[in-house]
Amino acid sequence: MKNDGTHKVKKGVLGVFMNLILWIFSLSCIFPIIWMIYSSLKEKRVFNADIISLPKEPTLVNYIRILTNSDYHLGESMWNSARTTILSIAMIVVFSFIVGYILSRVRFKLNRVLYVMFLMGMLIPIHSLLVPIYIVFQRCGISNKWFTLLLPYVSFGLPMGIFLVEGYVKTIPVSLEEAASIDGSSFTHTLWTIIFPICKPILVTVAIIQVFSCWNEFSFALVLIKDVSLQTVPLALTQFKGQFASDYPKQMAAMLITMAPIVVLYFAFSKQIIKGMVAGAVKG
Amino acid sequence: MKMLNATRPKNKTLFLYLMIPVAMFVFTVFVPLITALVYSFFEWKGGPVKTFNGLTNYIQLFHDGTFWEAFGHNIYLVIACIIGQVGIAFVLVLMVNSKLVKCKTIHRTFGFFPSTIAAVCIGLIWNMIYHNKYGILNWFLESIGRKDLCQVWLNNSDLVMLLVTIPLIWQYIGYYMVIILSAISGISTDIFESSEIDGANGFQKAIYITLPLIKNTMLVCVTLCIAGNMKAFDNIYVMTKGGPGTASMVMAMYGYQISFSQSNMGYGSCISVGIFVLSLLVIGGSQALINFLTREKEA
Amino acid sequence: MKKRQVISTVLATAMVASLGMTASAATEVAANELAYKGELEIMHYSTSEESEGNGGSDGFRTVLAAWDEAHPDITLTQNVLANAEYKTQIATLAAAGDLPDVFLLQGMNTIAWADQGLIMDLTDTIAASPYAADYNEAYFTPFKTADGKIYGYPALTGGTCTVVIYDKAMWAEAGYDAFPTTWADVEAASEKFNEQGITTVAFGNGGKWQANSDFLSTLGNRYTGPEWFQSLINKGGAAFTDEAFVKALTEMQRLFTETSIFNEDFNAVTNEDAREYYISGDAAAFIGGNWDWSYIYATLKDSDEEKFANMGIAVLPQPADATEAPTSQNIGLGYAIAINPNLAEDPDKLAAAIDLAQEITGPAFASYVAENYALGGLTKVADVDLSAFDQQTQDFYNWSYVDTETCEIYDSCINSAVWDILNTDMQTMMNGEMDPATVAQNAQDAYVANY
Repeated sequence: MKNDGTHKVKKGVLGVFMNLILWIFSLSCIFPIIWMIYSSLKEKRVFNADIISLPKEPTLVNYIRILTNSDYHLGESMWNSARTTILSIAMIVVFSFIVGYILSRVRFKLNRVLYVMFLMGMLIPIHSLLVPIYIVFQRCGISNKWFTLLLPYVSFGLPMGIFLVEGYVKTIPVSLEEAASIDGSSFTHTLWTIIFPICKPILVTVAIIQVFSCWNEFSFALVLIKDVSLQTVPLALTQFKGQFASDYPKQMAAMLITMAPIVVLYFAFSKQIIKGMVAGAVKG
Repeated sequence: MKMLNATRPKNKTLFLYLMIPVAMFVFTVFVPLITALVYSFFEWKGGPVKTFNGLTNYIQLFHDGTFWEAFGHNIYLVIACIIGQVGIAFVLVLMVNSKLVKCKTIHRTFGFFPSTIAAVCIGLIWNMIYHNKYGILNWFLESIGRKDLCQVWLNNSDLVMLLVTIPLIWQYIGYYMVIILSAISGISTDIFESSEIDGANGFQKAIYITLPLIKNTMLVCVTLCIAGNMKAFDNIYVMTKGGPGTASMVMAMYGYQISFSQSNMGYGSCISVGIFVLSLLVIGGSQALINFLTREKEA
Repeated sequence: MKKRQVISTVLATAMVASLGMTASAATEVAANELAYKGELEIMHYSTSEESEGNGGSDGFRTVLAAWDEAHPDITLTQNVLANAEYKTQIATLAAAGDLPDVFLLQGMNTIAWADQGLIMDLTDTIAASPYAADYNEAYFTPFKTADGKIYGYPALTGGTCTVVIYDKAMWAEAGYDAFPTTWADVEAASEKFNEQGITTVAFGNGGKWQANSDFLSTLGNRYTGPEWFQSLINKGGAAFTDEAFVKALTEMQRLFTETSIFNEDFNAVTNEDAREYYISGDAAAFIGGNWDWSYIYATLKDSDEEKFANMGIAVLPQPADATEAPTSQNIGLGYAIAINPNLAEDPDKLAAAIDLAQEITGPAFASYVAENYALGGLTKVADVDLSAFDQQTQDFYNWSYVDTETCEIYDSCINSAVWDILNTDMQTMMNGEMDPATVAQNAQDAYVANY
C-alpha cells in the first residue's frame, strides 16, 4: 500500500538520524578519556607545545616516575579510597532505601519535616561548610581517623538517594504490601524480601552515581584528613601539582591510574549494571 | 500512595529504622549548617576571634551587587540546565530505547562517562576547545571561512556565561540519562504495545504515556538539577574563576572567594545562608509551578 | 589566587640538570644540642613536584631532611600539600584556631593573624639568631606589623616577579639591540611585529593575580616611588586613590586596550600558556616572574639551542609620564616560617622549633641554593661563585640581585581582601569595561574596610 512505502522511508531516515545523533554524543563523551590516555604518553613540554595531536613519540616516562617515586603514595591512597567508597556506598544504598521507602509510604507526623530536612542537605554549597565541619569534628575528636570521611560522604549522598528511591517507590502499587501483610508478613519482612528486590534498578543507579562521587571527592578529604597514611586518592594526586608549572601529562597519568580500577569494573560489569538499571517492570 | 493503617509499622519500628541515618545526617550536615548560620551574624575575619555584629552582614548582602549578579547567573544556569541536561537526556533516552537504534549498550555506557570525570579535566578539555590560538572552535570557524567570528571566547563578558554552561550541560546529560532510563524501565511494555495498536506515533507516546508515568522521577531530576546548579562551582572555577572580572561569577564561587581569598568568613557564611534560602525558594517555586501545570492536564 | 609569593618558588634555575649534576652541595645543618624529645609538626607546600621546578623548594626539602636526620630524638612530621590546597587548608586551620606547630605564613596574612594571636612574636628571637648579622633586612617587611614586630623567618628563595624575557635576535631585526626602555619604543616596534603576525609581548592574566604581581606592582612603583607603598603598609596616609597610582592604572589600561602590543587573549590564558607563545616563537617577548624564567630557561636549553642563546632579560619599560625608578623590579620573599604561640608553654619544644626555623633559612640552606641554583634566600652568602653557571644564569643572578633597583611586591603585604577586589576589577578594567578611577576607589574602600 502506498502508505507503507513512504512510512518505511520516513522510518529509515529517522533511524539514520537518531543513530547519528547518538553516535556523535557518545563519541564526544568518550573522547576525554581517550585524550587523557594519549596525552599521558607525552612529556610535559611536548604536551604544552601541542595539546591536541597524537604523540609522535609515545613514552611511558610519566607512569614510571609515578610508580617508582615513594613520595607519591598512590597504592596506600587507593586502598583508603576503596575502603571509604565501598563502606559509604553500602550505607548510602541501605539508608536511602529505608528512608526513601518510609517517607514515601508511611504517614507519620515528622514525614514532611524529614523530607524538607533532607532536601536542605542538597542545597548547601560544600565550601561553606568546610570550616564549620572541621570545627565540629575536631571538637568531637573524630577528625583525621579512618572512618572520618564516611560521615560526610554518607550524609551528603543520602538526600539524592532518598529522593530517587522515594520517587521510584511511588510507582509500586500499595496492593503489594497489603497482600503480603494479609499473608502474615511483618513490615520488616515485607520491606526486605519483597520491596528491596523490586527497587534494585534505582538502587543500582544510586550506587553507580555515588561511587564516582565518593571516589572523586576532594574538599572534605582536604580539610578533615591530615595524616598522609589516611589520604584518599584525590588528596594524593595534589602531590603532582607544583605552584607554577603544571605537569598535565603526569597528572593525567596519575588520574588514569587511580580511575582505572573503577573504570575497568564499570566496563567489565556494564552489561550487568545496565540490566540492573532496566530490570523488570512491575507487572501489575 | 501511603499505606493502609493495617500495614503500617509500629512507631517503635519506624524510630529504630530512621534513627541511624537521621542522626548521622543531623550531626554531619545540620549541626555545621546551624554553626554557619550562627557565624553569619558575626564579623569573622579568618582567625578564632569573632565579634557579634547582628544583621550587618545581611544588610551588606542585600546591597551587594556582585552577589545578585551571581544569583542571576545561577538562574541562567538552572534554566539552561533543566532544558539542556534533563530535557536532552529525556530525548536521548527515548532515542536509545527506540527500536530503530542499534548498539544501545554503548550509548548508555558512554553517555554516563563525562559525569565521572573530575572537573579539572573537563575544564582543560573545554579550555582547549575555546582557546584563541590553538582551539578547535576557532579552527572550525576558520575552515568554514568565517574567520571574522574568531575571538578570544572566554574573555567575552557577554558570551562567557553561555560558554561556561555548555560544558556543564554536556557533562551531566549522561547522569540524567541513567536516572531516567531506570525509571522508564519500570513501565510495562504492554502499555506501549496497546498504544501502538491504537495508532500512536513515537512523539505521542512520549508525551502522553512515558512522561506522565515517570512524572515523579522527572520531578526529582528537576529538583536535583536546580539544587546542583544553584551551588555550581567546580567547572566554572576551573574554566574562568568567575572572570573576566565577574562576568561568570556564581554564588558558590563568590562565597568561596569571600571566605578563603578575602578571609572574610563571617560574610562568607552569610552568603552561604543566602544561597541556601534562595535555593529553597527556587525549588519550592518550581515544584509549585510544575504541580500547577500538570494538574491542569489531568483535569 | 595569589600564588605569587613566588618568591619562594623563584628562580629555580632549577633545572640544575643543566649543570649536568644534581644538587650535591653538602647540607651541613648545625647539629645543635636540643633538649626536646617528641613530635614536631611542620606544614608546607614544597611537594616533590614543586621542588623539581624550583631550586628554593628543593633546598627547603633537602635542609629539612638533613635537620630531621641530625635530631633523631625528635619526630618531625611533615604535612605537605600543593600550594593552592595548602592555602585552603591553612585558612581553615586558622579559622578554627588550630594551626600546626610550625608552618609557612603568607605575608599578606601577617597583620590579621598577629592581631588574633595566631602567630608568635619572633622579634627578639630573630635578633638573637646566630645568623642575624647576615640576614637581608629588606625581606622582613611583609612579616612586620605596624609597631615593627616581626612574626616570621622569611623562607625559601627570593626572586623577581616582573621580568621581561625577550628574543635578542627578533628584536635586533626590528632595530633594537636591547629591549626598549620605554613603552613608546615598544609600541613602535609592535607595528613591525604585527606585520609579521608576531605578538610583540605575551602576557597571561587568566588567574587574575598576574596583572598585579607581574605588572602593576612594578609599574605602580614607577609612578609613585617606594615611599607610597610603604606608607600604605604603615597606614601612613597613602591611598589607592592617590593621583600617582591612578595614573599607573590608567597607563595599564591604555597599554592593554589601546595598543596592539599584547596577545589578544591575555585575560583568558595564564602565564603558563603565554610563555609557550614565547617558546614557540609566536611572541617576541614575555613578561612574567622568576618562575616563568626558570621554565623558559629549562625548556629552551633542552629544545632550542639557538633561541636559548638569544634569551635576554630586561626590566619593565618606563611609561612616558612616569617619573620614578626606571630600573626597578619587584622582588622579595612571600612566605615565612611562623611558629604557633602555643609552643611557648613548652620551652624545650619552642627551642626546637626555633632551631628548625633558623636552620631552614640559615647558611645551610643559603649555600645549598647558591651553589646549586644561583639563588638567594634570607641569609646572605658571601662570594657566590657564579663561574659554575652558564651565562644565562649568571646574567639573571646579576640582574635580580645586583644591577637593578628593587621594590616591594604588592600582594606580599596588606591584605588578601584588598588584592582580591583589585585583581578582579583590574581584569574588567583591562577589557576596557571599568575606568581606573573606579578601580582605585573600590580598592580604597576595601582597604579602609579590611586593613
